[in-house]
Amino acid sequence: MNNKRKWIFRGCTLLVVLLIAALMFVVGRGHTVYIDNKTLEYNGETYNALQKVEVWVNGERLSKLSKRDRTMTTTIGNGFEMKLINTVNKGDEPTEVTVNLSLPYGWDGILVNIPGYLANLPQEAWMSEFIIEAAPPEEGEEEPGEDEIPTAEF
Amino acid sequence: MKAKLASFVASFGLPRLIITGFLLALFILAPIVGVDLPMQITNVINRFSWNAILVLAMVPMVHSGCGLNFGLPLGIISGLLGATLSLEFGFTGPMSFVMAVVISTPFALVLGMGYGALLNRIKGGEMMIATYVGFSSVSFMCMMWLLLPYHKADMVWGLAGKGLRTTISLEGYYDKVLSNFLQINIGKISIPTGALLLFALLAVAMWAFLHTKTGTAMTAVGSNPTFAKAAGIKVDKIRMLSVVMSTWLAAIGILVYEQGFGFIQLYMAPFYMALPAVSAILIGGASVNKATIVNVILGTLLFQGIVTMTPTVMNSVIHTDMSEVIRVIASNGMILYALTRRSEVSR
Amino acid sequence: MSGKQQNAGKTAFTFLRNNTVPLMFILICAVCIPISGFSPSYLLNEIITRLGRNAFLILSLLIPIMAGMGLNFGMTLGAMAGELALIFVSDWQIWGIPGVVLAMIVSIPFSVLLGWVCGKILNMAKGREMITSYIISFFINGIYQLIVLYLMGSVIPIAHSSIKLPRGYGIRNTVSLLNMRQCIDNLLAVRIAGVKIPVLTLLIIALMCILIVWFRRTKLGQDMRAVGQDIQVARDAGINVERTRIISIIISTVLAGFGMILYLQNIGNLSTYSAHSQVGMFCIAALLVGGASVDHASIGNVFLGVILFHTMFIVAPQAGAVITGDSMIGEYFRVFVSYGVITLALIMYEMKKRRQKANIGEQLALAQKEEEQHE
Repeated sequence: MNNKRKWIFRGCTLLVVLLIAALMFVVGRGHTVYIDNKTLEYNGETYNALQKVEVWVNGERLSKLSKRDRTMTTTIGNGFEMKLINTVNKGDEPTEVTVNLSLPYGWDGILVNIPGYLANLPQEAWMSEFIIEAAPPEEGEEEPGEDEIPTAEF
Repeated sequence: MKAKLASFVASFGLPRLIITGFLLALFILAPIVGVDLPMQITNVINRFSWNAILVLAMVPMVHSGCGLNFGLPLGIISGLLGATLSLEFGFTGPMSFVMAVVISTPFALVLGMGYGALLNRIKGGEMMIATYVGFSSVSFMCMMWLLLPYHKADMVWGLAGKGLRTTISLEGYYDKVLSNFLQINIGKISIPTGALLLFALLAVAMWAFLHTKTGTAMTAVGSNPTFAKAAGIKVDKIRMLSVVMSTWLAAIGILVYEQGFGFIQLYMAPFYMALPAVSAILIGGASVNKATIVNVILGTLLFQGIVTMTPTVMNSVIHTDMSEVIRVIASNGMILYALTRRSEVSR
Repeated sequence: MSGKQQNAGKTAFTFLRNNTVPLMFILICAVCIPISGFSPSYLLNEIITRLGRNAFLILSLLIPIMAGMGLNFGMTLGAMAGELALIFVSDWQIWGIPGVVLAMIVSIPFSVLLGWVCGKILNMAKGREMITSYIISFFINGIYQLIVLYLMGSVIPIAHSSIKLPRGYGIRNTVSLLNMRQCIDNLLAVRIAGVKIPVLTLLIIALMCILIVWFRRTKLGQDMRAVGQDIQVARDAGINVERTRIISIIISTVLAGFGMILYLQNIGNLSTYSAHSQVGMFCIAALLVGGASVDHASIGNVFLGVILFHTMFIVAPQAGAVITGDSMIGEYFRVFVSYGVITLALIMYEMKKRRQKANIGEQLALAQKEEEQHE
């Protein structure tokens, strides 16, 4: 009986640890979000870039985007919230929009187009995967050198 | 038949069998993948001649029951002191080698005696302490190489004018003095007769010594210290002698290694030099308390064979150089195997 | 009166003999600190950083000492397990504290496997655990290299080319952990007079200390102490000696894995092939500097050790440079001192063991004599 309880206890511990691990996969996924203020062509329509956009993340101003500007930030987890203060045309009164995004798990870099988002287009129009070109091999970045291997040349 | 095979495997040791088989496979593979076999054989023989004496240095301490001499760097340091001082005093050519041997001898004797006295006070824990004595002495000498007043221009850092360089070229000194002595060339294979002769001389001397009265006493101390004590053998004295011999052989060994390699390597270079020597003698069939000259020769050949053959053959087969990793796993695996043999723990 | 004085002298001598290493280190630090000319706030900052970085790793050494297996040079195995976990986690792009937690969880199976192998081998080499665990760390390092340098990216899937070697398989020399850099140290961090105190890290370390104290009182902990005192007696008392020893090594390896992850999150990048190679040596040296010996170590030794050892580590190069005009001297000096301390501690332990053996022998002889007289 005691033995059985022990095994149940162990099984539960294992389960809890695995659950924590699974949770970490979800809440800990890191993304790099790129935010674009660029004119977007979609289904033959043109959505013009905004005159000026202020991007606020976590209560701090990340950047102020003019036309054709891009900014980036890193975020952890599936949800991403940012506040945009838009000036659509020159001289307009700025409007405030809070954007809540659900980031696709498999994408490391995510490109968000603001004009497309504001025009309520379908998600695939304004959100796309951003793939960084593999960094060129650095100088001297080859296999580990001799001195890093315990038995030195003999 | 199966039982016979099993008992053969048991007596020979599975790791040893794997390593021998691996080397054989390399030799068979070599001509198939287009590796220059005569050159490889020359390399193996050369490397054998450089390293054999360092491996031979293991024998006395194993015999006297002090275990594997992980403190080999201490002897190597005596050799390095001899080498650098010989150069500093202005000796050149073959004479510099002779003087290096002469100068390193007193260092080896003194250091060996201190080391032996220490090991006599900590019987049973020799190997771990030997390892750390080696490490401490190497790191202590790192400071000394910088601080000692060496002045010879081709040994010290050019800019500061003091502090020895990490590697010192032996060109014009004793580079290949032994290897070139009476060198024999058969086709593409060349044999470094001088270095082999010196090893043969020392090996025969060792063999002869082990058959003298003191030598048999040494074996007795190693195999059964209580019995040896009862038989009137001065155990501590014999152990001390074995340590001094081992240290001196290590000093000579590093000098022979340098003459083959062509450079003196200072600072952290001697740090891990004990491990290849230890694993070589174990691969040759020795154990923690039993080692013969045959073990030395066989072990050095096998070990150096793998070291030389793996990179070239592997490179031609799978186009990557995994030799480093294979060497680390094979040599340390061999040491582990020897340390865990039950029959040998009983000591 | 004079007897009392003699007694006091004797106690003082025993105290000196038992605390040679810490006293020596206090002396070294006392000499080197003024010479190096570092400001107290800088020194304090550095020491606290290093305390947070290293204390957990050193705590992992305590349990095998308790079980009589000496200094666990095989803690390097745990460090390697932690590194493997970090490589995976950074390939999965799990960042921040979740990344650290996940790495710790992922490291557990590796650590348990390696610890089990190590424990098995050490059971075959009783009486020479230290040299064997030392060689195991080299052997497993070879296997680690085989996995990380050749199998990762070719057999084991690694998605991101940013951590792979240009040839397409194998992991680069350094893996950036920028996304989890100091995430635990910075959470709840407090600044007092310019000194940053990583409260959360210190809390984790404190929790670990409490766990170790608690563990000593459990049945398993008691068994371990019994095994550490005398294997034969423990076996007669019905303790499964082999199993207990293996468990102690497994626990040590798992803790070393956690410790390595904490250490690396502080550093912020992983030197794939060399980060673990020195870790065992420095941790053991620090523990010994704190006054521990091969058969006895307490939590107090850990903290005193970290502080003294790392003070020496910080000031030695600068002090060496001031004295000799060459900064390398100080570098070599601290390496020498690290090895020297371990050597000294090993020698003192072996000599103490011999002395005790001799004492027991004498007592036995004495008892025998008395018995003979009675008859």
